[in-house]
Amino acid sequence: MAEASEAMTDNGKASSEGGSGLTEDRIESGKRAVSSEILVEIKQLNKTYYRGSETVEVLKDLDLNIPKGSFEALMGPSGSGKSTLLNLIAGLDSPTSGTLQVAGADLNKMSEGARAKWRSQNVGFVFQTFNLMPVLTALENVMLPLLLTNLSASERKERAHTALKVVGLEDRVKHYPRELSGGQEQRVTIARAIVTDPRIIVADEPTGDLDRKSAEEILNLLRKLNQEFEKTIIMVTHDPAAADCARVIHHLDKGRLVS
Amino acid sequence: MRIATLGVRNVLRSRFRSVMTVLGVAVAILAFVMLRTVLSAWTMAAEFAAKDRVVTRHKVSFIMALPGKYLEEVRQIEGVKSAAASNWFGGKDPKHPNEFFGSMAVEPRSFLNVYDEIEVPAEHRDDWFQNRTGAIVGDSIAKKMGWKVGDKVTLQGTIFSGDWQFQISGIYTTTRKSMDRTSFFFHYDYLNEWVKKNMPIGADSIGWVTTRIERGKSPAEMAKVIDQRFDDRDIQTMSQDERAFQTSFLGMISAVLRALDVVSVVILLIMMLILGNTIAMGVRERTHEYGVLRAIGFLPKHLMLFVFGEAAAIGVLGGALGLLLSYPLVEGGMGRFLEENMGAFFPYFQISSTTSALAILLAVLLGLLAAALPAYQASKLDVVGSLRSL
Repeated sequence: MAEASEAMTDNGKASSEGGSGLTEDRIESGKRAVSSEILVEIKQLNKTYYRGSETVEVLKDLDLNIPKGSFEALMGPSGSGKSTLLNLIAGLDSPTSGTLQVAGADLNKMSEGARAKWRSQNVGFVFQTFNLMPVLTALENVMLPLLLTNLSASERKERAHTALKVVGLEDRVKHYPRELSGGQEQRVTIARAIVTDPRIIVADEPTGDLDRKSAEEILNLLRKLNQEFEKTIIMVTHDPAAADCARVIHHLDKGRLVS
Repeated sequence: MRIATLGVRNVLRSRFRSVMTVLGVAVAILAFVMLRTVLSAWTMAAEFAAKDRVVTRHKVSFIMALPGKYLEEVRQIEGVKSAAASNWFGGKDPKHPNEFFGSMAVEPRSFLNVYDEIEVPAEHRDDWFQNRTGAIVGDSIAKKMGWKVGDKVTLQGTIFSGDWQFQISGIYTTTRKSMDRTSFFFHYDYLNEWVKKNMPIGADSIGWVTTRIERGKSPAEMAKVIDQRFDDRDIQTMSQDERAFQTSFLGMISAVLRALDVVSVVILLIMMLILGNTIAMGVRERTHEYGVLRAIGFLPKHLMLFVFGEAAAIGVLGGALGLLLSYPLVEGGMGRFLEENMGAFFPYFQISSTTSALAILLAVLLGLLAAALPAYQASKLDVVGSLRSL
């Protein structure tokens, strides 16, 4: 397992960049303080959509800094722009204007292909609806992002096993999504999100489709990833209980940060 | 697990739809193989025709007879190795009035000399030579009619009326694919005696002459030389090498052959559209998943690979199934039936290796072509929009 742990800190980028390699040893390690290093730097960010002749300003002159190792929640009513902001931070979309620097990369200046590569190395995604591939086993789902790396098949397998162990599903590796509960599916999604050892995990309503007990398990897992594995987590949620797990809660309304 | 694995696994996702699509492809390939084999079997006689044989007939029409003395004159021409005359008899077995088979009067020795691909056991051949009412029959027609060596057979003449008594002297097989195994050959003398008595005007006449030419001689040149020999006679001839002779028969049905050719292509195009629709449905259903894949770093080219992988998998499965089915159904069932019942047109009905390879290749290629548009659409999906679609 020690070899696997080393492998998981070497995903095509120097371990010093993230310094948060997923190892079982770290599960037992203590909490640590949030770094002063800024991982997400947003200045005067605007995002406007055009629907025919109609212009919709989703984000307006938004400024936000998120330090490395932080766990931050984005809250707000529907249409406030929180998911759009999350998509921009994750490199899924590009802003209309403003500065958007994430993990040292100026996302505004990157091509779509470069952003895809950047995402595969720096961002882990957790979605509300799990979004696992139904034709792949839990292990294969977790291995999916590793197909984009130069790792050998055995290394990919070893890393996926480790990630599943981190989320407590080492005994479900051969199960298909349909054979798992909602909470277990979401844990597989989290394993898939962390298997490449990304610097940021973005979670869009990760507990939205879960019962309270499963939701708590998922939130504990996210908390553990933040505290013990030093993952920077940015989470969109409507659930105040989920938001309570975050160190910082940002409220958005009509495209502006209100608190 | 590799990137293409996901595409291939997607085939198993909607099993009923995939099974129906694979069956659709299999049926299309089966139909394609059947039509191509009919085409190749139909043209087989021409393709495998002897290169050293020339057929000479009446210049006006095949059904008009030539004077018997022409045979001897052809034999005298320099470059001719041997020649044999044949007369169409057109007999029918009254016990099986609906069964068609070719029946011809020939001079046994010269006939077997010219058609050396016909094999008859030596003792049967000798019996045929000796027995004036003896006949040799192809193994296919013998099996179908239940004829055995020594059997007495009565044929009804359709041109030369009356009941004709024959005895089966031997059953022949052939070493050349183009040779029909459903024919009935008997003594020219036996026919000519009857003609002298009942249709004296046609006595000593022959239907056509088949000439075997010497090695090194050009069949086309020899055909010209033979025709020149009879240029100044009342009855002129038209000679062709055997391949051209067979092809002239095919010319009469060329429209049918062309239609078969077109239909075989149309069937594959229909298959392509069915497959394309299935793949497009799959892509539409997986829009959200493709959004997830794009989010975690997969590129448009990867999505195209997934879609093409699925299409290729269905193409290979359907093509292989169709080809597997075609051997027992087309070659085993239909082929045997045609060889036995229409041996004159389909002397050798076998699926060629070219047809098999073409079927599999086209199944995969057309599958990929069918997936081109859905694959392009998948590659152009907007990531954020795809993630929102559920």
